[in-house]
Amino acid sequence: MIPERSASFARQQHRFFAFCVAPSLAALALITLLPALYLLATSFTQLSLTRPETQWDFSQPLESYRQLLSDSRLHNSVWVQVKLSFWTVLLQLLIGLLLALLLNMRTRLIEALRTVFLIPMVLPPIVVAIIWKVIYTPDISPMHGIFRALGWNVPALITDPDWALTSIIIADTWEWFPFTMLMVLAALQMMPQELLDAAKVDGASPWQLTRHITLPFIRGVLLVAGLFRLIDSIKAFPLIFILTDGGPGSLTEVTNYYSYLQAFNFSYLGFSSAITVALLAATIVLSWVIVRAVGWGTKID
Amino acid sequence: MTGPNRRAVLRGGAAAASLASGALTAPALLAQTKSPYAGTTINASCFQTTFFEYLKNYFPQFEEKTGIKVAFSMQAFPVYNQRTDLELSTKGSALDVVNATFIYTGRWIGAGWLTNLDTFTKDPKMTPADWAPEDFVAGTQSAMQNAKGETFAFSWEGGAMIQAAARYDLIEKAGLAMPTTFDELIKVCDATHGKEGVAAFTADKLHHWNWIPYLMGMGGGVFRAPPENLTPTLNTPQAAQSGEWYANLLMKYGPDGLLSYSDDQAMRSQMSGRANIRTQSITWMVPLAKHAESTVQKTVRYGLMPAGPAGNFSGCNSHGLGIPAGSKKKEAAWEFIKWALSKETLAMVVKDHGYPSVCRLSVINSPEFKNVLTLNGQDVASLYLEVLKLGGKTGYMKYRTVPVYPQVGDKINKAIERIATKQQAAPEALKQAQAEAIQDLQKAGIKVDT
Repeated sequence: MIPERSASFARQQHRFFAFCVAPSLAALALITLLPALYLLATSFTQLSLTRPETQWDFSQPLESYRQLLSDSRLHNSVWVQVKLSFWTVLLQLLIGLLLALLLNMRTRLIEALRTVFLIPMVLPPIVVAIIWKVIYTPDISPMHGIFRALGWNVPALITDPDWALTSIIIADTWEWFPFTMLMVLAALQMMPQELLDAAKVDGASPWQLTRHITLPFIRGVLLVAGLFRLIDSIKAFPLIFILTDGGPGSLTEVTNYYSYLQAFNFSYLGFSSAITVALLAATIVLSWVIVRAVGWGTKID
Repeated sequence: MTGPNRRAVLRGGAAAASLASGALTAPALLAQTKSPYAGTTINASCFQTTFFEYLKNYFPQFEEKTGIKVAFSMQAFPVYNQRTDLELSTKGSALDVVNATFIYTGRWIGAGWLTNLDTFTKDPKMTPADWAPEDFVAGTQSAMQNAKGETFAFSWEGGAMIQAAARYDLIEKAGLAMPTTFDELIKVCDATHGKEGVAAFTADKLHHWNWIPYLMGMGGGVFRAPPENLTPTLNTPQAAQSGEWYANLLMKYGPDGLLSYSDDQAMRSQMSGRANIRTQSITWMVPLAKHAESTVQKTVRYGLMPAGPAGNFSGCNSHGLGIPAGSKKKEAAWEFIKWALSKETLAMVVKDHGYPSVCRLSVINSPEFKNVLTLNGQDVASLYLEVLKLGGKTGYMKYRTVPVYPQVGDKINKAIERIATKQQAAPEALKQAQAEAIQDLQKAGIKVDT
């Protein structure tokens, strides 16, 4: 009798949970799933806002995807995206990690510095872009002013083909290294002191402590931070929109910016949707591969 | 006989006061109740521009006259175009009056997204005869009409491309004059570049507007025969020669970072005396002589855009006010357009603010306009009118009103940037632009010659 009553109670509990969660799931489906399905459906049309007859025209469902293969500017944008993502994620992880290790020391000065380092991350992205626009515009830039005073002839970085992408990487790294720093710092502060003490007793040097204790401990956090930054780097937009417009030429034109141009400047919503769907699929696959390759962290004995 | 007591006097006074106040407020109330639009609010939108900044000062007059309240919003140029393009495409009713942007007029009119305004102008009940639609300069109105000659917007701004030398004194010192040909322009730039720290030339990054007069001046063009034949002609020897020449003009004589300059940045580079010559719409040039922050008020001089071996093809465009097809308050919207672009309102904006780009002939030919646009003793009003007429005469600006110009313009911008930064030689860059433009045109369902 008792197990039956218990099973019935569990079923009731299940139903109650489902009842409670249902409105949230319905809202979520409405807000995220429907637009995603619409995006997918649109990608199978050649919808152009200036040609209303193309809406819901599925006569050539794979035409937009076929065009993806023959669009050299899109291919270039993918390569630009790869370079931007690689360098920004790498630099943000390295700088964030180094600063977190430094800031993990408990002194008053360092505690004050923590707050200062967080400023770039909490600024609205458009403000960050404007700050860097000022820095990169020679006429009004304090940086260029200093260079001139030192007698160095430094070209305008955002219009120089050798520097345009680097200037975006620098600005993006400045904006987002605090995110990695914050996550690593939180992990470091949860690290049991006994682990370090035990290693010290065994005669471990500071480098050995970092290499064999600290880094394995925060590996999972670094992976999560890296994944977040990777996904965010694929969404890079305000810096490119304000600083370079994808130029000079297409040197800083990443894939999502190209997709935006297709949709909002040229009204090719079908083609733009196909780019977005492909980008989304690539992001999911890439994240899965990284998680599988690196793992979620290691337990330390 | 007993005189009036205090209570009676007070009562009489109150009655008289209420009568008087009633009489005073009556005309306004009557006017408001007479208007069929009293209590209506219309939503209007345009890109950021001085004209509507000025016009907003007079909105209370319009609201008092018609009872229509105007909710007017302005955004940056690209933002406005994107939002409005999207709004018009859905045939929504969020906007009642929109700016018909020159490069989008072909698309918006062709797709049936704007209201035919002839229904209003031809109805004497809606439009009095003295409003005179024919008073608008023909050149500025051509973009606002379809092939049948029906009108979908009335122009409020004529963008006539002229030349301004912010530091004409440097040119004089070099023993030269305002350049009238491309060769003279290079000669002047060579002689003055870097003098007193001033760059000889400046421009903004909208190359698909700025470069085209130089392209046409060297015998090239954007399309084969717009609007009928939209086959791009960017891979011609003339285009390559002109692309190389223009990129050199920008990079050799422009200030550092010029390729990222917005309209405003380019204007500021002249106003602060850091750059000398620019060829652009008059709207960006007049502030050099008039703006309080301009340091070149005394040294600026104006001229027609230099001519190339094939002639003078000064850029000429216009922006107009129209009514979205989906608006539910079309008549109230027309009341606003009628008022905003009436001779009286435009004359007021010119007189009070010195606005230089109006499109009504009667205003342009008025002594006030001449007075406002006589800058450093130069009759800039005549230059303005000359360019507008030039644009209307041969129709060479038709390339810009075709529905696919935004796509092709983007390819031109990218190509000029690639040439200027030496990523590609001019023939290759423009060959690539040609191929990309064809691919885009085919995507838009447009047939091109093969």
